[in-house]
Amino acid sequence: MDMVKAAKELLLQDRVDIFLGYHKLDGHQIPHGFTKARVADLDQLEISLNRYPLEKIACDLAQKDPTLKIGILARDCSQRALNLLYTWDQLNPENIETLTVNCCPSSLSTHGDCSYLKPKTTGEYKKAHGIDYNDSPKDFMAEHDSQDRLSRWMYEFQKCIKCYGCRNVCPVCFCKECSLEHPNLVEPGVLPAEVPIFHLIRATHMAGRCIDCGLCEDACPAHIPLRMLYREVNDAVSDIFGYVPGDHIEKSPFSIIGKTVELTPAPMDV
Amino acid sequence: MTLKRIAFVQELLKFMGLEGRLHLEWISSAEAQKYVDVVTKFTEKIRNMGPNPLRAINEMKKAG
Repeated sequence: MDMVKAAKELLLQDRVDIFLGYHKLDGHQIPHGFTKARVADLDQLEISLNRYPLEKIACDLAQKDPTLKIGILARDCSQRALNLLYTWDQLNPENIETLTVNCCPSSLSTHGDCSYLKPKTTGEYKKAHGIDYNDSPKDFMAEHDSQDRLSRWMYEFQKCIKCYGCRNVCPVCFCKECSLEHPNLVEPGVLPAEVPIFHLIRATHMAGRCIDCGLCEDACPAHIPLRMLYREVNDAVSDIFGYVPGDHIEKSPFSIIGKTVELTPAPMDV
Repeated sequence: MTLKRIAFVQELLKFMGLEGRLHLEWISSAEAQKYVDVVTKFTEKIRNMGPNPLRAINEMKKAG
């Protein structure tokens, strides 16, 4: 397999100290760091539909040893996440090597590896009272009036079990202090989470950050359509500011003081 | 910065079905009349809209 060979080369030529990929443990594909000392392990490298935020692991490693050279098995979404992490100085691009897997099948290569390739199905009840995973934010806005939108989002948010899975799996959530753990914003130890504050805090923080990998939605045990929510958030950012996170190395408009775009306050419509 | 953030949050609230409850206005300390006008207009607008629907939902939840 070419990928195994390429990864072995990276390690043997000392271009990377550790290569982040997946291996199988007890029947589950989980992230694994392959090293030069145990290069033969790479024969067990697994490439499948399963995804984990390997970039996040790379961030943790880089925090412990900033000089560590890291190789990553990367998809398109990983590339966007890496761009974003470079932008925010969480990783040094000089220390990162990527091996790209084909995640989006095309007419040229029909095979693809991404959990997102299995389209999500939305149940009838969810369609009637909640939100369809596959709906686009624009269609959702057009099809439902404001009362309906609120009740549908509240239906979804009320299912939240406050597991913080969406944050923990997110490759671009790297803050040391998280607003979701701030006792004045989110009351600790209280279930269910106060809705919609919990989710709106996260949505706000995803503005100009979310790279649309969809891991949060994959991870959510309550089946909240988070990807669609953050898509809307980023649509707003790209509509107002023309900024697309992870596209290239450029800071988000919310982190730049001063004008990035001409805006006037919205008039009050009575 | 404020303008950028408010413009964004207004979009987000609209998406959630809570539009119209957030307003931003620049008023200098020398513009007393403008301040009165804006606050009166906004208060009236909010009163016409009625109470925040979230409050009812959260209270219902607390009551079990």
